[in-house]
Amino acid sequence: MDFLEFVDHEKAKLALILNLIEPKCGGLLLIGPKGTGKSTLLKAFKSIVKAFHVPFIELPLNATEEALLGGIDIEKSVKDGKKIFQRGIISRANNGFLVIEDINLFPLQLLSLVFEAQSRSEIVIEREGFALRELSSFQILATMNSEEGELSSHFLDRFGLCVAMNTIIDKDLREDIIKVNIRRDSKNISQEELIQKIRKSKEIIKSVKVSDYVQNLISEQILKEAVESHRADIFLYHTSRAYAAFLSEGTVREQHIKDMIPFVTFHRKRYILPQEEREQNERHEDKSGENKEENFENSKRNENRGKSHESSNFSTDNIESQEFQTFKRQEVFSIGQAFKVKRFFFKRDRIKRQKSGSRTKTKTKGRGGRYIRSIFSKTPEIALDATLRAAAPFQKIRGRKDRVVILEEDLRYKEKERKMGLNVIFLVDGSGSMGVRQRMIEVKGAILSLLIDSYHKRDRVAMIVFRKDKAETVLPLTSSVELAMKRLREIPTGGKTPLTKGLFEAFKFIRRLKLKEPHARFLLFILTDGKANVSISGKPIFEEIKMVCNFLRQLTLTDIVVIDTEKKTNIIKMDLALRLARMLNSDYVLMDELKTDSITKLVNLYKNSQESGHININ
Amino acid sequence: MQIINYYINRQNEGGALLIFPFTAIVNQEEMKLSLILNVIDPSIGGVLIMGEKGTAKSTTVRALADLLPEMDTVNCRFNCAPQGPFCTDCLEKIQKGENLEIINKKMRVVELPLGITEDRVVGSLDIEEAIKKGEKRFSPGILAEANRNFLYVDEVNLLEDHIVDLLLDSAAMGINVVEREGVSFVHPARFILVGTMNPEEGELRPQLLDRFGLCVEVYSIKDKLLRVEILRRKAEYDRDPRSFIEKWLPEQRQLAQKIMRAKETLKKIEIDDDIISKIVDITAELNLDGHRADIVMLKAAKAHAALNERDRITTEDIRKVAPLCLRHRLKRLPFEDISQESERLKEVLSRI
Ligand SMILES: [Zn+2]
Repeated sequence: MDFLEFVDHEKAKLALILNLIEPKCGGLLLIGPKGTGKSTLLKAFKSIVKAFHVPFIELPLNATEEALLGGIDIEKSVKDGKKIFQRGIISRANNGFLVIEDINLFPLQLLSLVFEAQSRSEIVIEREGFALRELSSFQILATMNSEEGELSSHFLDRFGLCVAMNTIIDKDLREDIIKVNIRRDSKNISQEELIQKIRKSKEIIKSVKVSDYVQNLISEQILKEAVESHRADIFLYHTSRAYAAFLSEGTVREQHIKDMIPFVTFHRKRYILPQEEREQNERHEDKSGENKEENFENSKRNENRGKSHESSNFSTDNIESQEFQTFKRQEVFSIGQAFKVKRFFFKRDRIKRQKSGSRTKTKTKGRGGRYIRSIFSKTPEIALDATLRAAAPFQKIRGRKDRVVILEEDLRYKEKERKMGLNVIFLVDGSGSMGVRQRMIEVKGAILSLLIDSYHKRDRVAMIVFRKDKAETVLPLTSSVELAMKRLREIPTGGKTPLTKGLFEAFKFIRRLKLKEPHARFLLFILTDGKANVSISGKPIFEEIKMVCNFLRQLTLTDIVVIDTEKKTNIIKMDLALRLARMLNSDYVLMDELKTDSITKLVNLYKNSQESGHININ
Repeated sequence: MQIINYYINRQNEGGALLIFPFTAIVNQEEMKLSLILNVIDPSIGGVLIMGEKGTAKSTTVRALADLLPEMDTVNCRFNCAPQGPFCTDCLEKIQKGENLEIINKKMRVVELPLGITEDRVVGSLDIEEAIKKGEKRFSPGILAEANRNFLYVDEVNLLEDHIVDLLLDSAAMGINVVEREGVSFVHPARFILVGTMNPEEGELRPQLLDRFGLCVEVYSIKDKLLRVEILRRKAEYDRDPRSFIEKWLPEQRQLAQKIMRAKETLKKIEIDDDIISKIVDITAELNLDGHRADIVMLKAAKAHAALNERDRITTEDIRKVAPLCLRHRLKRLPFEDISQESERLKEVLSRI
């Protein structure tokens, strides 16, 4: 489809054009759910780019580091006995665009290499004993579907511009709109005219002026948007200049800055706001209802809504429209005393892990992971460097002519290590019943203890809280215990108990991560007293919970531990959390038993249950 | 190792990388100071820079290396210093009575690539030599490249543990001893280790924290005027980097000379017993164990005195460097609230 035929994506189109006019705009990230035409738009843009003889290179999802950065051509090297280099994808994208579709599905390590090359303006290739450097300068055009996982703020910050694409347009409808649009818009220019215009803008921009006043305004506006990264300032500067040039104006005006601000701030705003702030924002959004496209929170919520439609049997619509009578009281409790926690082990991974010694690292047999050293015992990948080194001293003796003589005895293999962070997810009941007699203080103390435990093992943690009528991820997966502490402190208590929503959110959370890291392991701690009192489907709560528990039970490589927070006394003992643990077929621990004095008891319990794999919870 | 400069594409005419001038970097005084102190005395043990994204961490390090004048170097594969210590190659030459050729080289920032293997860190057998001549020759690794340079490790907290250990061990010993694949080789590996980390992206083990000499925290600047100034300079640089570099040349030269003079002064600085007892008092009052903190503080204070062209360490020097030396040692657990300790440090420093 022709680039200009895209309707409703004016912002995205403009951002692409500005990047073509001024490479210092710093690339573009398009965020939006499936079906918004992100990738079609990029393909259409390719035809414009072609006219400028600017590279437009796509990064395939399965690209190896070798393919990305270039390296030695193994086949030729072995044949000729000397190193033969092959240019990589980044080299080919030099002075042009590197296109990364579904960027959030790419392995982190590969993305790090891409951004590293970009920030250094240089590629340094370190491969198997060879080093090579090459100047490189490229812009990244990326798309991401945020339903399928997040992109760390570290990476987001590298993008000059970002546009959210939220309008899903039905294909037939779209064709109609195009027809109408074309007929109506007499100013509609042809692709050839657009190319001419961009060409002219590339000339104009050289002399576009920015007054001191406007320059001050840039920093002022960025600070006003609560964006911290200094990169935003300089990207806004260059983008505004490109914009002025595109409008055939010789100076950057205040209006240009204002028009461009959303493009550079959208992805740099902290969207993990503290609870209170966020609630305020949401209230604010509900009122205004506009600026949808520019509002990250909003778009995320919309996507989540779309998601629950396709992936669940539950209809959440009627729930969300319902008004719940909630406890008015909302409190934020402090964090209780930390204590040492007994170790949690993976039942399904016990033998392998004992070998490698640590729970966070697994020597991997597959192709993934990082090459750490060469070994004699056979693995799927030959370590070419070590093999050549082993064979090298004997070449003369073996009578080498034009090929390197490699014998069986020379073969060395790659030992790889993958940072197998265990992903620890806390599903926390924040409902009113947890506030009774300050129970929440002890709950937070328990989480803190588990966090300290995770820290020692270098795990990643996430936190989901359910209360009132919703469940939300207050802490996306992070290895920062510092951040986790901050969020933990902020968890408020009060309202009803939407346990089903919490469980379902945890399920969706884990499944989404599994898409990205199929080998990742999960440990889900559910801290609740089990007193669910909000149904999301209108079905009996018990039935509902049972259904979600079935989903959770089917997750592979996931261990669940229910931590019962109910204060047990002789009189009151409902043991609803125990019932939950049975439905989940999970481990079950009383919160009070997590403490030091009973560790021995628990460890023994786990030891005894090793054969059966489970603690007898009956 | 052979490094092929494969500058086939030249977005900068001349094919060289242009670098934003160090003296034109606005603010971030602590980061700049701690890097300079390390240049004056590399045995301080490097810097750990903790900070948010977009705070010009690597730009600053690269800019400092660019600022410094060329240094005298033996023309060998390991940048041996003319006064030693020497690599195996140089030692052989000396034994044979040959002269070592001295050349001038600029200090570089060697970056540790992600996913590097042990072989590439320490070096290994040179394949080409072995294939062609059947000779066992040593092919240098990153540690060799880093000798007398900066070794910059971005996101050090995300690096494999055993690689971090390797780096810190050789940084501490200043030498790399290789015994593998039938090659034995020794070469100096004295580098200024600069690690960066964003605490929001993961922690570093306390035992590793402690091994960095200095630690600074960088924040994004929220002061409007400063921020405007940063933008103004960056925009000016982006428009015409060459003229901008030209314009800052006098200040660059001045600072470079100041640093080089300080390197000389350093040797002459006398240490009073009084200063030593003050330093020990500080660490004792803060319950810091190990001598590392004391030694680093003494070295940093000495370098600071030299930078300010004094031949004696003053209390002011200690006050200035103590936070850089102690910040990461006060923190025993990453989530520990250290505001109390920081207050105590301030209080202790005000008393000395
Ligand atoms: Zn040498």
